[in-house]
Amino acid sequence: MGTENPGRPNFTTRPATAPFAAAPQTMMPFSSSGPVVGQEASGFRPPPHVTQQTPFSSSGPVVGSDAATFRPTPPVAPHTNAPFSSSGYAVGPQTSPFRPTPPARFNDPSVPPPPTSSVPPTVGPFSRFPTPQYPLTAQAPPPRGPPVGQLPFQPPAGQAPFQRPQQQIPSVPMGAPPQSINSAPPSVNVFQSPSDSSFPAPPPNVQASFPGFAHKQSSADPQAPPVQSPFLTHQGNYAAAPPAVSSPFAAHQGGYAPPTPGAAPLGYQSRDHMQHPGSGPPLGAVQTLTEDFSSLSIGSVPGTIEPGLEPKALPRPLSGDVEPKSLAQMYPMNCHPRFLRLTTSAIPSSQSLSSRWHLPLGAVVCPLAEPPDGEEVPIVNFGSAGIIRCRRCRTYVNPYVTFTDAGRKWRCNICALLNDVPGDYFAHLDATGRRIDLDQRPELTQGSVEFVAPTEYMVRPPMPPLYFFLIDVSISAVRSGMIEVVAQTIRSCLDELPGYPRTQIGFATFDSTIHFYNMKSSLTQPQMMVVSDLDDVFVPLPDDLLVNLSESRNVVETFLDSLPSMFQDNVNMESAFGPALKASLMLMSQLGGKLLIFQNTLPSLGVGRLKLRGDDLRVYGTDKEHPLRLPEDPFYKQMAAEFTKFQIGVDVYAFSDKYTDIASLGTLAKYTGGQVYYYPNFQSTIHGEKLRHELARDLTRETAWEAVMRIRCGKGVRFTSYHGNFMLRSTDLLALPAVDCDKAFAMQLSLEETLLTIQTVYFQVALLYTASCGERRIRVHTAAAPVVTDLGEMYRQADTGAIVTLLSRLAIEKTLSHKLEDARNSLQLRIVKALKEFRNLYAVQHRLGGKMIYPESLKFLPLYGLALCKSAPLRGGYADVSLDERCAAGHTMMTLPVKKLLKLLYPSLIRLDDYLLKAYAEADDFQSIENRLPLVAESLDSRGLYIFDDGFRYVLWFGRVLPPDIAKNLLGTDFAAELSKVTLCERDNEMSKKLMRILKKFRESDASYYQLCHLVRQGEQPREGHLVLANLVEDQMGGTNGYVDWIIQVHRQVQQNP
Amino acid sequence: MAWDLIYWLICFCIDLALFASSLYQYVMLTDLEADYINPYELSSRINQLVVPEFVVHIVFCALFLLTQHWFMFLITVPITCYIVMLFVKQQHLIDVTEVFRVLNTEKKCRLVKLGFYFSLLAIIIVRLAISGILFPRSGSEEFDLRASFLEF
Repeated sequence: MGTENPGRPNFTTRPATAPFAAAPQTMMPFSSSGPVVGQEASGFRPPPHVTQQTPFSSSGPVVGSDAATFRPTPPVAPHTNAPFSSSGYAVGPQTSPFRPTPPARFNDPSVPPPPTSSVPPTVGPFSRFPTPQYPLTAQAPPPRGPPVGQLPFQPPAGQAPFQRPQQQIPSVPMGAPPQSINSAPPSVNVFQSPSDSSFPAPPPNVQASFPGFAHKQSSADPQAPPVQSPFLTHQGNYAAAPPAVSSPFAAHQGGYAPPTPGAAPLGYQSRDHMQHPGSGPPLGAVQTLTEDFSSLSIGSVPGTIEPGLEPKALPRPLSGDVEPKSLAQMYPMNCHPRFLRLTTSAIPSSQSLSSRWHLPLGAVVCPLAEPPDGEEVPIVNFGSAGIIRCRRCRTYVNPYVTFTDAGRKWRCNICALLNDVPGDYFAHLDATGRRIDLDQRPELTQGSVEFVAPTEYMVRPPMPPLYFFLIDVSISAVRSGMIEVVAQTIRSCLDELPGYPRTQIGFATFDSTIHFYNMKSSLTQPQMMVVSDLDDVFVPLPDDLLVNLSESRNVVETFLDSLPSMFQDNVNMESAFGPALKASLMLMSQLGGKLLIFQNTLPSLGVGRLKLRGDDLRVYGTDKEHPLRLPEDPFYKQMAAEFTKFQIGVDVYAFSDKYTDIASLGTLAKYTGGQVYYYPNFQSTIHGEKLRHELARDLTRETAWEAVMRIRCGKGVRFTSYHGNFMLRSTDLLALPAVDCDKAFAMQLSLEETLLTIQTVYFQVALLYTASCGERRIRVHTAAAPVVTDLGEMYRQADTGAIVTLLSRLAIEKTLSHKLEDARNSLQLRIVKALKEFRNLYAVQHRLGGKMIYPESLKFLPLYGLALCKSAPLRGGYADVSLDERCAAGHTMMTLPVKKLLKLLYPSLIRLDDYLLKAYAEADDFQSIENRLPLVAESLDSRGLYIFDDGFRYVLWFGRVLPPDIAKNLLGTDFAAELSKVTLCERDNEMSKKLMRILKKFRESDASYYQLCHLVRQGEQPREGHLVLANLVEDQMGGTNGYVDWIIQVHRQVQQNP
Repeated sequence: MAWDLIYWLICFCIDLALFASSLYQYVMLTDLEADYINPYELSSRINQLVVPEFVVHIVFCALFLLTQHWFMFLITVPITCYIVMLFVKQQHLIDVTEVFRVLNTEKKCRLVKLGFYFSLLAIIIVRLAISGILFPRSGSEEFDLRASFLEF
């Protein structure tokens, strides 16, 4: 029960909880509790003081509604235990804000350990405590301490608290994750930080009660101890508690102290003060705790004169992307970070604060991200009640709304409007203020739900999934073998196309004319109709060009079987792409759907014909370069806009071996929520497999049709710009004709008011779409984030993955209107500014000297920034990447979700030969090979075999003196040949099979693209250069910085005065 | 004198038309911001006005040049240059895919134009008044003096 009680109703209050969470270190916070927190805090305080009653009374005043509830309690209070017990249980109703995490645990407390005994046990938990930061959870409940719980619980009360900590610990791995690397101690910080600002006050009380504690904490590491203290107090035995606690502390200190070296103890206190100017003097000491930042010493390395760094000491994301956990712990009902990631989980409270956060402030949303099995988003059907939404701001009902007035009203968490609960949705509230039907209401307990939309959400009947294929059949397409692969793949996917039996399908081909195919189900063979009038394109047949797949299955299959042979002798070199596009639009405008374009020859006839661009070398590096990355002909933008208007999503597959103007073609995908697949120099024998997998994935993945997406957020905050593949239909409405799990959208937000009055900002992403099954649905993701007044907190809560995603999109957009160099410079400038601002936070109290400091959460930012500067869309100049590849990579990176983007920026490099040689290695023993190496040339040992994996391709790198039997086993008799001509296939020996298993396993872990395996031998130039060496982002090459130089350069700029 | 009156009447009408067109476009953009109109409709409505507006403005400007109203010509010339530049760069039309990104600049641009045409309107009205009301009785030196003073 406890868990649920905390339930949503309270949520609004939530903000307060956050502070509490922070409290952990400071149990003390309670006593002094800042104004806001105060209410709840008051509840808590009592425990510390033997007499709990007093605290209660005091608390009352602060909190409006909640306080009222509390007051009654005071009488009970007299029993010390009682308050506690009550807190745990009672909390539910009143604490609502807090209840989120803690409640669950609370129930457990019921276990009746004797109070007295409790003291000793406590110690045990303490030792673990470092993690506990959560104390807040526990605390949260206490404030409410509603009368109900108190009596029954009193005895257990003391225990209960204890238990929690223990339990919590496992659940809350959190402490460690974020900061783990830099300094052992940091873990604590993370938690605290959120609350810091609000909590400053609390410490004083604590100190008063336990002088010993306070001191200790201040001096060393706050983490563990603070949490405990609250507990102890609860127990009621004062005398006993202190001693017990103290010992654990000492232990902690010892352990922690070493890590902190960088930060002088003195520094801490002072720093705290700085951070929380508002907070009373008392807090400073308590909060200090651990280091708030990590540092790199950039001084002269012994033995050298040049300032330098130990390269091994630099942070590297070798474990891949780590999703931030602190927010999920603070707000357990938030949607999963795979759906929504904020660049910082702490929203600045004022415009002046946000202007000091030099990184982008915003979110990355992937509304349809694939959840792992068993975590599917629940589908909710409100039936006759209609979808419950706020009258004013149109927010959907979510776990953070609160029910009041005996369940007849609910308060919107975003605009605070009181709405009526429709009769069909009414449920009574129990004594704790939560709805009695909570268990049956996923929309009130989970951050991600899908509502079935009634007819008000449709402007027309839900469309069937529709696929239209526009295939280039000019001579180069025929020669590359593309047509054959495409036809085979489509045929093999016919069974798996989503939406059976409503799925519609159609085909057209084009060279210098446009060919349509009548596939009426009554025909045995498709009829081909040729339109050669390119100036006035028309559709030769009103219907039957788009047919229902299940009815015309045979005709479609016959067509696909015969397609490659139909054009095998075609010698037409022209491409009437523009007119074909117009014809497709006419055909599809009735229903919408997905248009897949297979394009091989530069459009040369009719509207939209394109010129060869980019072969004038004098243009590169001047102001005339960037127009090359923009569509040449406004026709493509207009077509893209028309496509979106008619709910048509476009995926472009480009295969040309020559310039094919991806910049123009990609525009079609960009504004229709589509995607660009680029296979330069396509040969079906080499790239066929890649095309086959990616096309199959495109056709069979779950797709949301005729979708629109909107993100709402609390008052005072507004999303101002959006980045990704979509078209804006109004200032905040993204039109997405077809969207799927591989697309992510980034957006930036800004504060509209100079000062935010709310303590929590809620975000709600709503995607209204037609599922393939024909149901109209709304997918809603809700997340909450605390508002903070402290810049350091914003940095601590930063999410490098989301920041890098946003930065990369901004940089790529910048390349469309500026030189590449400008884009790179502005990226670097932003990173420098951010680090400089962060440094200024701490420069005064600490003697930083030559150290480079950065928040633990952003330790990878400089490296990703460097990798971004070296990524295909931004790299070098003319000679480094061809224009088409640059544009294609840019278009791809504009859609990638966070994880995939980070993998692309910092690919994994893994050594394989040891694993392959191990005879006993089991098939599933992949642990040993998931050991990523830094991307420097020194990682490559010429005796080894390495795999380089950026999520889009694999490169197998054979060392020059790799034992020949490995190469022989893997490559058969070709092992000595030039590897560019060798393809990897499974051979009849254990080693080769093992390698294939590894590759398969890797591919399964990421199905959105197919990674073709390239082979390269050490020293085999120039292939080695562009396949591997150019992608070793930490190395210095061709005028770009290596990692060490980059860090030094960034550091210098950070130290420079403005 | 009657010619002068007619001339300024024509100028008045032209300027009023330009003013109205700018106002209309500005209102449309505001509507878009408030989501009363969708970007497709907006861009088609505005784009069909853009070129006629440019032509009218150039005619307007040329009219001052040909009639040797140098001051009026000089104040209309900068905008003429600006729209010619836009046209040459092919940036004069609203791009439906990027409307929201340029919304604020476009609005500002329309607002400036509005202000410009409005002040022009004021000047023209004065001229109109002089030519229509004062000149019939322009026997007196005093009035002549003022008129020539006003004739910038």
